[in-house]
Amino acid sequence: MRKRLFLMLVIILFAVIGVLPLLFMLFKSVTADGELNLSVFTEILATKHQWILMYHSLILSSAVALLSTFAGVLLGILFGKTDLPFRRFFTVLFVIPLLIPPYIFAISWSDLLAGLNYESFFGLMGCIMVLFSVFLPVPMLLTIFFLHTVDPRLEEAGLLAASWKEVMTGITLPLLIPAVILSFMLVFILSFGEFSVANFLRYDVYPVESFTLFAAFYDAGPAIAAALPLAGAALLFLLAGELFLRKRSYRPYLFSRYKVLTVKLGPLRRRLAFAIALFGFVIVIVPMIILLVNSGGLENYLEAFRRAGDSMFRSLGFAATTATLMTFFGFFIGYLVHTKALAIWRMADAVTIFLFALPGTVIGIGLISLWNTPWTNIVYGTPLIVIFGLLAKYTALTGKVSAVWLARIPSSMEEAAQAAGAGWFRRIVFIVIPLMWRGLAVAWIVGYIFSLRDTSVTMLVYPPGQDTLPVRIFTLMANGSPELIAALCVIMITITLLPAALLWLILKTTAAKVSLWQR
Amino acid sequence: MATITLKNITKSYGQNKVLDNVSLTVEAKERIVIFGPSGCGKTTLLRIIAGFVAPDSGTLFIEDEPVADSGVIIKTPQERNIGMVFQDLALWPHMSVKENIAFGLKAKGVSGAEREERIREMLELVDMSGYEKRKPSQLSGGEQQRVALARALVLEPKILLMDEPLSSLDAKLNIRLRKEILSLQQKLGFTLVYVTHNEDEASDIATRLIRMDFGNSI
Ligand SMILES: Nc1ncnc2c1ncn2[C@@H]1O[C@H](COP(=O)(O)OP(=O)(O)O)[C@@H](O)[C@H]1O
Ligand SMILES: [Mg+2]
Repeated sequence: MRKRLFLMLVIILFAVIGVLPLLFMLFKSVTADGELNLSVFTEILATKHQWILMYHSLILSSAVALLSTFAGVLLGILFGKTDLPFRRFFTVLFVIPLLIPPYIFAISWSDLLAGLNYESFFGLMGCIMVLFSVFLPVPMLLTIFFLHTVDPRLEEAGLLAASWKEVMTGITLPLLIPAVILSFMLVFILSFGEFSVANFLRYDVYPVESFTLFAAFYDAGPAIAAALPLAGAALLFLLAGELFLRKRSYRPYLFSRYKVLTVKLGPLRRRLAFAIALFGFVIVIVPMIILLVNSGGLENYLEAFRRAGDSMFRSLGFAATTATLMTFFGFFIGYLVHTKALAIWRMADAVTIFLFALPGTVIGIGLISLWNTPWTNIVYGTPLIVIFGLLAKYTALTGKVSAVWLARIPSSMEEAAQAAGAGWFRRIVFIVIPLMWRGLAVAWIVGYIFSLRDTSVTMLVYPPGQDTLPVRIFTLMANGSPELIAALCVIMITITLLPAALLWLILKTTAAKVSLWQR
Repeated sequence: MATITLKNITKSYGQNKVLDNVSLTVEAKERIVIFGPSGCGKTTLLRIIAGFVAPDSGTLFIEDEPVADSGVIIKTPQERNIGMVFQDLALWPHMSVKENIAFGLKAKGVSGAEREERIREMLELVDMSGYEKRKPSQLSGGEQQRVALARALVLEPKILLMDEPLSSLDAKLNIRLRKEILSLQQKLGFTLVYVTHNEDEASDIATRLIRMDFGNSI
């Protein structure tokens, strides 16, 4: 009873943070003076400009989704399924662009190419290239994850009768089809909602419109109308995911006693590794080197601290606070989804994913339209609104991490405690949490990184004088010197990757020698 | 007075009717062995008695008091005071032997001195004194078995459920532990519901043997 009550409270709290603002926004946009009024929609849909923007967005997202799904799935198979040298290192390398604010790579490339007097980097091509490298890790990681859900015994059975080539094409790859579809949709929706890169590279896309409309006129109506197609796209994504994933249960063998079988690459091994190293060097290392070189000497860093030190510390504070709260919500939502303890578990799962798919600008506008009243300044005028926004947008991630981790703990662990007379809180505190603290640490890192790199929510909702470093860099870009911007970007990358790497190291060195449930 | 009474218990998972109208009465201090092929519903039956699963229909009584009825769990597992030894033993890997055994006592609010004493007695009873500080991963299969037994019995349950507890042990150890379980039952006088698919084991333990088959009614 306590369990259900507590989980219910967590869900209600999350709904107030994430869902209420959206409902309120929707309600406000379809009413005028207390009556139903759809004029904001009809007006906005009647302008040709809107359709051009929509077209731009569709082109950009499709191109990015196609390219990165193709390359990402390929890399995923190589890293997750073969004996390619340095595959672990490569995996980490390619993930880096996803971890830092996306526009940083846009800055870096445009710095280099502008130096070469190469103007056409601006616009569609530049956006595609930058977003490709940013979202490449998504299909890559999903592929690796799905490969780990393939029961190795299926493959072993196949290998008794056939070669690896036949087993791969006949058994393993067909099991990857959901990963491919999911990757495409996910990258599509993420690119669709991303606006900082397009904004910097001066390519007019749809989310930029809702942002500028809102920022310039502070008029929620048109912005909401502009945001609606984005919400629609997010909803479609959710439905499609439901269709493709619910059928199968994904038990990650990743954590079980079954080792993933690897394919021997043979003579190709070295050449492939070299090609991938070169590719990684160009799309990940080069941009970072450019920033490092451009940032020049110490004086630029001192200047950077002088101009943005306050934002930097705020960023760290917000990210750490949010990550902690996000781990809390993610754990209990993951627990709810894993144990199906309340009938609404599916709904709770769907809502977090919907919010993740929803462009941050939409969440931001929702938060502002709800909390911008004289009585709720405690939220609107304080960092609380930033924290709410980040929680709404990214809790899906910590929720999924928790659910996956919980799935590896046999249910008998908690049941044995129950049979021993322990109530739910005791079981959570003394059994479940100790058994998954590493999962919670991973969830925290994920929450920290995504809160830190965010611009899409924060840019809209931060209270005056309370901006974060990615937002400060973004605003300084208009008039700051290139050296200063480069130095700030280097700082940004450092404060993201350093704590993440540190925590990762701690997890690695404390790794249990023997898997817990193997007797 | 019957210790456990199952009255017309039915349980399905989707289309799969696992238990069909099962009725059974277990008297105090009996040693019931439930015997049947893998997948016939033995674990499901135990989980219903323990309270982890509610029957779709039918009523379960413990000490003549209804504890579950037609999809409703009236008493949760933590309120039933039933000991259970799981098929995978479910020893908590992050706790030492002593902490594993102490957990239930702490949950029930047994105070420090008494707790220590009961743990000591229990470890002696299962012949595991001196192993207090070990982690489950540092024990052999038979030793883990004994700790799982100690953890369940330290709470002095009237009923002990065991789900194929010896299936992962070699034949020699299996026979030895059977004897130990029998002697513990005689010493402590609990009612035993024991699940196995090993014929030999079944006839050794049972005062009453119940055969189950697919979609069965007993
Ligand atoms: N939680 C569950 N969900 C769906 N099916 C289940 C679940 N638990 C057990 N079953 C099914 O019920 C049947 C009986 O299972 P079980 O009671 O574990 O059998 P036994 O212990 O006799 O091997 C099996 O077909 C099993 O697949
Ligand atoms: Mg069983």
